[in-house]
This record gives sequence, C-alpha cells and structure tokens, in this order.
Amino acid sequence: MSTPTHDPQSGDRPDRGPGTANPGTDPTNPSPASAKGSAATADANPADPANPADANPATVDMDEPPAGGSFTRYFLRKLGGAATSMVLVIVLGFFAFRMLPGDPVLKIAKERPMSPAQIAELRSQYGLDKPVIVQFWDYLVGIVTGDLGESYVYRKSVSSLIGEYLGPTLLLTATAAVIAIVLGLWLGQISAWRRNTLFDKLASSTSLIFWSVPTFWLGLILLMIFGGTLQWLPTGGMITPGLDPWSPAGIIDVIKHLILPVVSLVAVVYAQFLMIMRASLLEEMNEDYLTTARAKGLTEDEVRRRHAVPNALLPTVTVVFLHIGGLIAGAVTVEAVFSWPGLGKLTFEAIRGPDLPLLQGTFVVFSAIIIVMNLAADIVYRFLDPRVRRA
Amino acid sequence: MTDLQFENVSITYRSSSDRGDVVAVEDVSLDLPAGATLGIAGESGSGKSTLIMSALRLLPKSARLDGRVLLGGQDIRELSFGQIRAVRWAQASIVFQGALHSLNPVREVGQQIIEALEHHSKGTWTTPQKRRDRMFELLAEVNLEASKSSAYPHELSGGQKQRIMIAMALACEPDIIIADEPTTALDVIVQKQILSGLARLVAERGISLLMISHDLAVLSAVCAKLAIMRHGRLVEYGPSDEVCLSPQEDYTKQLAGAFPQIGDPESRLNPRTLKPAEVVRAEPFTMTDEVVLEAKDLSVSFDTRRGRERAVRGVDLQLRKAEILAVVGQSGSGKTTLARSLLGLQEVEAGSQLSFAGKALPKKAKELRAFRQKVQMILQDPAGSLNPKRSVYEAVVEGLKVQGIKDREYERVIGALEAAELTPAEDYLESIPQELSGGQRQRVVIAGALALDPQVLIADEPVASLDASVRGEILSLFLALKKNFGMSALIITHDLGLAWNIADTVAVMKRGEIVEYGEVDRVLSDPQHEYTQELLAAVPRLGSQSLVRNE
Amino acid sequence: MSANTPAEAAPGPSSNEPNPRGSETRGSIPVVDGAKLVRERRLNNAKKNWALFRSDVPALIGAVVLLFFIVIAIAAPLIAPASMLDVTKQLDVPRYAPPSLDHPLGTDDLGRELWVRILWGARVSILVGVAATVMSMIIGTIMGLAAGHFTGLFGGVIMRIVDFFIVLPSLLLAIVLSSVLERGVFTIVVAIGLTSWASTARIVRSQTLSVESRLYIERARILGAGHSHILFRHLLPAVMPLVLANTTLTVGGAIIAESTLSFLGLGDTSKESWGTILKNSMDVSAATSGYWWYVLTPGVAILLVVLAFTMVGRAFEAIINPALRSR
Repeated sequence: MSTPTHDPQSGDRPDRGPGTANPGTDPTNPSPASAKGSAATADANPADPANPADANPATVDMDEPPAGGSFTRYFLRKLGGAATSMVLVIVLGFFAFRMLPGDPVLKIAKERPMSPAQIAELRSQYGLDKPVIVQFWDYLVGIVTGDLGESYVYRKSVSSLIGEYLGPTLLLTATAAVIAIVLGLWLGQISAWRRNTLFDKLASSTSLIFWSVPTFWLGLILLMIFGGTLQWLPTGGMITPGLDPWSPAGIIDVIKHLILPVVSLVAVVYAQFLMIMRASLLEEMNEDYLTTARAKGLTEDEVRRRHAVPNALLPTVTVVFLHIGGLIAGAVTVEAVFSWPGLGKLTFEAIRGPDLPLLQGTFVVFSAIIIVMNLAADIVYRFLDPRVRRA
Repeated sequence: MTDLQFENVSITYRSSSDRGDVVAVEDVSLDLPAGATLGIAGESGSGKSTLIMSALRLLPKSARLDGRVLLGGQDIRELSFGQIRAVRWAQASIVFQGALHSLNPVREVGQQIIEALEHHSKGTWTTPQKRRDRMFELLAEVNLEASKSSAYPHELSGGQKQRIMIAMALACEPDIIIADEPTTALDVIVQKQILSGLARLVAERGISLLMISHDLAVLSAVCAKLAIMRHGRLVEYGPSDEVCLSPQEDYTKQLAGAFPQIGDPESRLNPRTLKPAEVVRAEPFTMTDEVVLEAKDLSVSFDTRRGRERAVRGVDLQLRKAEILAVVGQSGSGKTTLARSLLGLQEVEAGSQLSFAGKALPKKAKELRAFRQKVQMILQDPAGSLNPKRSVYEAVVEGLKVQGIKDREYERVIGALEAAELTPAEDYLESIPQELSGGQRQRVVIAGALALDPQVLIADEPVASLDASVRGEILSLFLALKKNFGMSALIITHDLGLAWNIADTVAVMKRGEIVEYGEVDRVLSDPQHEYTQELLAAVPRLGSQSLVRNE
Repeated sequence: MSANTPAEAAPGPSSNEPNPRGSETRGSIPVVDGAKLVRERRLNNAKKNWALFRSDVPALIGAVVLLFFIVIAIAAPLIAPASMLDVTKQLDVPRYAPPSLDHPLGTDDLGRELWVRILWGARVSILVGVAATVMSMIIGTIMGLAAGHFTGLFGGVIMRIVDFFIVLPSLLLAIVLSSVLERGVFTIVVAIGLTSWASTARIVRSQTLSVESRLYIERARILGAGHSHILFRHLLPAVMPLVLANTTLTVGGAIIAESTLSFLGLGDTSKESWGTILKNSMDVSAATSGYWWYVLTPGVAILLVVLAFTMVGRAFEAIINPALRSR
C-alpha cells in the first residue's frame, strides 16, 4: 500500500544501500567503482596502503557514488510521461465516444422521438457523416483551439460550459484535499506510533468503516441529518441566490454550502490517507537508523518527529497524490447529491442527457487536471527526497 | 573513566507465537575495564548483538534481562529514562554497521552528527557554531573532507559511511565505544583503513572498545581480549593471542581454523574442516593442459546514465580441465560481469573471443541452452538461489526439466545430491529451503548444477554468505569435485585465502583488468603487482593485534 | 535480532534430520512419488492458516456476514417471490411506510417492501462485485507480470499503459465506458473490470520486480530456462497468494463502484441493485423529505458487505504476509 508507484526500472525508487552492501553481484547495475571510467584515476593509487590513517583527507574514494543527475532531465522524463498519458486520454476520448457500438445520434434519438430527416441533420451538424479520420482531425484541431464541440442539451459550447463550472469544482476538491491530507497524515502517524492502543484501534476501525461506504451515500446521510432533519445547513447549491459571492455575507454563505460536500469527500479519502501513512510509518519503525537515534539519547518523541515521520512521509506523498484522482472522481457523485454547480454536476447532467460531447469534454478536462496534479507530485517528490535527486 | 560489566546476563525474547520464549543470551559475564579492548566473536544468532544492545538498554520491549549490566558501577536497569538518555552517547556510544541503514537516509550526515552534540553538549558545545566546528573537527579526524558534511548517506561509499558512524560515535567524547560489525560488507583494503583508524583513535583517547564481529581475524587484529559466543553462551574467553592461536574449545578451533593463513603450507590445497569431502577416486584428477573454457580480449561495457562504461577490459583467461582458477578482486572490479559473460549471460563487445572446448560460444537461444548444460554457475547466496516454495527435489530437477532431459530423472537427482555430499539424499528430497542450514542449501544449489553433468562450474563467492564453520566444508567439496570427476572450476572471490585453500591458479582483477595471473603459490608468496601486494597486506591475520601494530 | 534460525539449529547435514520417507525407499526401486508428503505439508499449512484466521475475530464476523448475504442472495426467489417487486401488485400497500412490524424495513415510493428489494439487490450487487473483480484480477495479473518481467520496448509500452490506468481514476473511465455501451448488468461488469485492474497490476508488478531480482530467477536462467518457465514456474506462483488476498479486498471496491454507477443512472434500471435503490431514493428526494429508511437501508447493506469483504481480505493478507500481523 505504501509502495511508491514510481517506476523502479528508471531508478526513481529510493535506492537503499547502493553499491557497497552487496559486493559487486548485481550484474545489471555495475557498481559505481567499476562503472566509473577510471582513465583518470586508475593509476593514481588512492591511499598509501602502508599508512592509511595518515592518508590525505582529500583522497579520491573510488566507491563513492556519482553525483546526481540534472533536474532538467528528470523533469523532461516526467513531462514526457504526462504528455503520453494526455495523448492517450485524447485518443480514448475520441474513440470511446465514436467507435464503440451504438451510434451516438441513435442514442439521442432513442431518448427523444425524431424523424429520419432530423437524425440526418443532427448527424451532419455534429460532423458524424464525415469519414472517421476527418472527424478525428477535426477533433484534434478542436482540442488544440479549445473547441470541444457543442452540448446537445445545453445548446452551448462545451468549453464555455466547462469554464463556467470549473471554479466551483476546484474550490470543493482543493478544500477537501487539503483537509483530508492534513487530517489523514496526522492521525495516521499517531496511529502507527501508538499501534494497538485504543486510539489506534478507534482510528483504524473508523477509517475502515468510511472506506466501506460509497461517497454519495455518506453525502445523502449528511444531507438528511444536517440539511433535512436539523436544518442547520443548506441542502444544495453553492450560494443563496441573490447574494454577492464576494461580500462578507456571501463568503460565509458559500462556506456554509461547502461544509457538507467537503465533509463527505474528506470522510472517505482521509481514511485512505490514514491507512497509507500508518502502514508507511510502521514499515519505517524497524529501521536501524531509529536505533541510532535512540542510542544518541533522543526522546521517543524526537525519534518520531525528526527521523521516522520524514522518512515515512516520502512514499506516502506519491500514493496520496494518486488518490487525489479518486477524490476528484468522487466529486461527480457528491456534486450531484448537493447540486454543487461544478464539473461533477455537469458530468451527471451529461450522463442523464445523454449529452456525449459534454461528457467527452468533462472527461478530457477531468483527466487533464489529474495528470497535471501527478506531474506536480513527481516534481515535489524530487525536492522532498534527496535520493531521487540522483536519478 | 567508566567500566562496563555484564554480570550473569541472560536475555529472553518473549514471543506470543507457539515457539514460546526465545533465549538469546544465557548467563554471560564479561568485564570491560576502562581503556581496555574486548572483542566478542560469534556467528549469526549467537546473541552477541543482543548482548551489546543491553549495555545502553536499547533492547525491544519484548526482551527480558536477567542479571546485571553495570556501567560505571551503576546498574543500568535502575536508571530512569532521563538518566539513561543522558548516559547514551555521552558515556557510551555505538558504531553501527554504517554500510546498512544506520544513518537516516533523508538527512545530511553532518546534521546527524550535530544532533548528538545537541543532546549532550556537556557544557562545551553550547552554541550552533561550536557544534558545527566540532563536527568539522570530527570529520577531519576520520579523514573526511569538510564538504562531506552536507552529503546524504546515499551519496557516500560504504567506507565513508562507516567513517561518519565513527565520527558520530566519537562526537561527545564517550568513555566507551561499542562497535557492531564495523567493517562487514567492506572490502579488505577499506576494512584495514577503518580498523586501524578506529584503533588509533581509541588508543589515543584511552577509550575502551567493545567490538563484535563474526570475523575472528578482524577482532584479533584490534582487540586485546576475545570472547567467543555460541547459541547465547560464552564458549571461551581470554587474551586475543591465546584464543586465536591456541584455542581450548572445539568450536573455537573450528572458527580459528576457518581462517586461512596465507603462506601456511598446512592449509594449502587443504581447507580445514571437521567434515572434509571424500575423495573416492584412486588416482585423483589433477590439473591438465587441456583448455576447456577460454576468453581472449574480453571486454564488456554497460550503458549507464553517465554514458558507456567498461566493466571488463581486454581480459585473457584460460580454464583447463581439472583446474580450479580463483578470480580475486574487490567489489566493482568486474569479476561478476566476467563470470556472466563466460556463461553467455552478458553481451560482450565486438572483438571479444569466448570459446568452449575450442568452439566459439553460441549466440542462438537454443544452442546457448545446450551450452549451459556444459557450463554451470553457482550464485553467491544459497538462500536466495532457491525458490522458498519448492522442495529440494524440485530445485535439483529444475535444470533437467528446462533442458528437456527426461530419462533417469530420479537417479540423476539422487546422484547429484550425493556428489554434493548431501546424504542420505532421499531424506532431503521433500525438504523446503527454510528447513535447511546455509551449508545444506549451498549443497542443494551445487547439486542442481551437477545434475546437468557439467564440465565447468563457475562459482560466484560460494562461501561469502556462509558461517565460518561451514566454509571449509564447501571448499573441500569443490576440491573433491575436481579430484573425483575432473571438473574445472572458476571461483570468483574477494578472499585471497580461498585461493590459497583450493585454487591451482589465481587471477587478480582490478577495475576490469587482470593485473596479475599465475600459479597460486607463486602469486601469493611473491606478488609482483603492487595491487596484489596491497591486497595481501590488508588481509587480517589471526592474533597479535596485527593491524594496529603493523602501523 | 538474533532469534534462532534453522541454519543454526542444524549446522551442517545433521543426522537427526527427520527421515520422513523411512527406509522403504532405500535400496529397492525408489518411488519418486513425493506427492503424499507434499499433500501433508499443504494440509498442515492449511490447518495453520485456518488457526490464524480463526483467531482473527473481525474476520470471522466478516465471514459470517458474507455467508449470510450470499445465502439470502441465492435464496431470494424462495424467500420473496419476484411478484413482490411488481409495482402493479402493490396497489394496496402504503407508500413511504416507515419501518414497522408489518413493513420491517419500510416501503418505497411505489409501495414495494424495501427488505424485498434489498434481498433481490444483493444478487446483482454481489454478482457484479465478484464478476468485475475476477475480470480485473485476471487483467491486472497479466499486465503486472508482463510489466515486471519484460524489459525493452515491449516492457516499456506495458509499463506506460499500466501507469496510465494507475493515474486515471477508474470511476471516470467506467463512467465513460458504461455511458457509451448498452445498459445492462454485463456492461457494468465490463466497465468496472476493464478499468479497475490498475491497482492489482501495480501490486503484481512490484512483487514481480522483487521476485525477479532474486537469485533463484538468475539460477533458472543459468540452468537454461526461457520466459515461459520463469513466468509460470516462478513468478506466477509467487504473486498468486497476493492476488488472491487482494481479490477479497477488491470485491468491496467493485461493489461500491457498482452502486456509484447505478446511482449515476448508468446501471440496468430493470434489475434491482443496491445502487439502483439509492438512485430511486435520490430521484424522489427521500433524503430531504424525511424518508430516512429509504436512504439508510441500502447503504447499510453496502457497508456491511464491503466491510465484511475487507475484514476477510485483511485476514488473508496477514496470513500471507506475516510482517503485517503485528499491526
């Protein structure tokens, strides 16, 4: 669970005990001494063997691992990966919606009665009568120029719809993500450090329960209790109509609307973060460097804060960022439950339509957000973990 | 100055599993007066690590300590947690095995030294600046550049990490330093540097040193007194020279005997063991002139992130029938790559010529498979070489299945196991690797190779991961295979003593090149190349605190 | 630290090694059949694992809950005939009746008994969960093995595909797939199965990579083994236990995914499933209209089943990986 998903073959994985721990037995990864082209150093005997203690401190240690690679190369590699994913999304977005069984126009026609002439007109309106390759080209040109087609239902351009609904989704998911990360990691590390205590058992079992419910159901329950029965909080929308969102009253109103959807999203996701952090820290807890720290006379609290947690956080970061994708996907149902005017709600409407251009548009945009988030995570990770800086 | 005394110490690990409690240390009494040096030798599982961890009360909660551990006359069990924290590092510090994970991988090493000073400023290192200065002073003492203070552990070599550990241990001027396998996994030359550096620093400051190792020679090179532990008990204790050179107990004799004395005629072509392999042939095979495996101008390069690098450069090598050739070199000298290319497992550069029985090595997968039947390889770690889920029979028969040999399968397996001296073979067939000892596992691996009836065995550090007492058994098996079946063997090792014990010829490798190559007797008694001389000088000898005094 | 290892218990070939085969084989024609011993060892292992499982109380409760739901799902037609779901035959039943003795779990907007709907919904929800998981496990295992074992261009391409599916949330892809395919239970299974295999592939890949670096794989190569031998004799057996434990854990996720897709209106509306019930409740705004039982019951059913699968799965995982046990 805590394994970073970095591709180990390209060397991102934290490399433990490089080279020396296993004297020259790894054939695919020649240890640095043999690998280092020794043209310059082979003849210079590093230390006077008879008198090693007095050797010049500046002696060249042949086994010293080489210095790190450049950030640019790392960045370009990650960027390349993200770009490939984006291309796959775009291609998938096209073919899923045009090539799979079921003519999209007939699908619309099934929902609403239409004459053959109307169908033919619709077909040409959406360019579906052209050869596939031409359609694909038009689609690519559209994506590059920001034109994602026109929504069947809203009769508006998909890009302008998405532009309208993007902000609220970012507000909702970003708030939920920050709270879930802080809460999950914090509880997770306490849980691991005090494993098998009452705190740990409570925290772990609560998170297991949250893990086991659909996000939207939790939303429905919250809506029922706080919106329905108690009537403490609004049941839908983002702001009471007529209020200026930038006025103080408006901001408070938005926060009120935000509470229930954020809590539903956080509840499910923080639980996963807690479990990841807990597992990751437990893994670190048997490491030798903690014994070193204890032997140096550190208190248990210092051992945890200064040594164990920073190390446990590293693999967690990657996994946490991967789960942000899940959080964004969770926004689809939560926004539907709370009528939150965001991309999720738009997706929900598009499914109901069915409004395929809109669905395609939201799919591409959602995917793009997630891919960019992951690219950001990879870059952050490189700054956090000195070991990756070598890659 | 502080004394360290263990009085009738027993340590038991409570376990909730059905195995019940495990006694790790039983009734051990040892004494380390101020300024003394004491080594504790023992194989894995002898309880030596558990014992020293008790000195600073660093045992896990599941461990129960009986008896008394006295630090400066004070029973450490009676100290409060605050007091024990103050004692840790300030009075006694530990040099952990630096090559492993004893340093925090994500903090700069200089900071990790400073952290110790922050906790025990002793009225001296009271300001950040003073602590920084002290840290640089310590780095200089262990011969590291000041710039290394901002390095992370993964940016340092094994030797450098070990120096950092020593600098850290010295930081707060302790009275006692406890060293836990301080040179394991280091090359002999680096090992010598580290040991003599440690010994010098300890002697200059009058610090007492308690060192544990599985390697008797390493301990005897530094410590004045030696204790031998086995199965949690103290077996023998006395002055270093006496324990090493005239041991009283059988177990100590076995341990001491396992260390080859290069130049000692008695151990030449005669690995000492209580269980030598049998030579059954009336006229044992000896080395012939018939070349079976040959490499000419062999070069291997790898593509790495820093461009193309040559791991093996222009090596010429000949292996004759019934010859044992030892290829000796330090880690990274390219010796494993050499072995893999001889087996066709590694792509070689154009111009390299490899031949087996006069014919060039095949390139096609199918022919290569047939070739592997004739030339087999034994890997370093027998525990890793066996699939934990498959029985001995399945492990030995694997080669036959892969090669499509179907007739007399059972007889071949039994024959191979008997040739590898795992007898009675039938009793082991259904055992799984976990049920076997390290030596037995290595025999199974060897049997797996022998089942194919190869003409050449290539072995990569065949005894490096085995306990010292098993080493002789396996080495004598190689000798017996040569004498009984006329098998040729190429043995990759870092250990010159191994060459002295069993090899006919030796090739010394350094940075991908063979720097010296010839008959063992000649090369080891009269080395020509300065690297061979350096290697020979660095091999620890039993007794007499050799490394320290030779300075 | 220094617990007694077997290596130490028996230094060198010891004579007191158990002699399981006795002397019957020696001398005479040897019987190669070690099958009996292998069977005994398997039986012993099974006993040990069962003992471990039995000592895990939450897992036992989980197993009982699962058994209960599976039995009622299978027996649904016997307990409550399908006619009880036919709205035209429920005209005399009150709508939105809260739970009472007459209506144990209440009724819905069309007068159907919720307990009957839950009963029938269990069939689809559990079936979809299990079927989608099996599909996702098979794809995930194949992709994970291939990504971990093969190097070069082929391995690189597989790796990219796996990475793509890891990064993109499966729900998003499942929404796309199920909205373009014909509505139906099978579509839901395919949509979940085709999109949720990435996490399995990730686990299988990392396990494959770790096994691949073991010396016994190198040893097999030295013995002359090719890809198929290494894949099927060493790698697959090594990842299987992990995959099986993961299966149980994944079923829960698949059941949640099914309910989510049904809730979004992508399910088969003609078939009862817990997600469909929740969708119906949403359509009539049950949550804000005070029909709490309409919302609560299907969700609790999902919670119970998913939790039960998770508990059982965790116990399996702990049996496979003893290092997790102390946690």
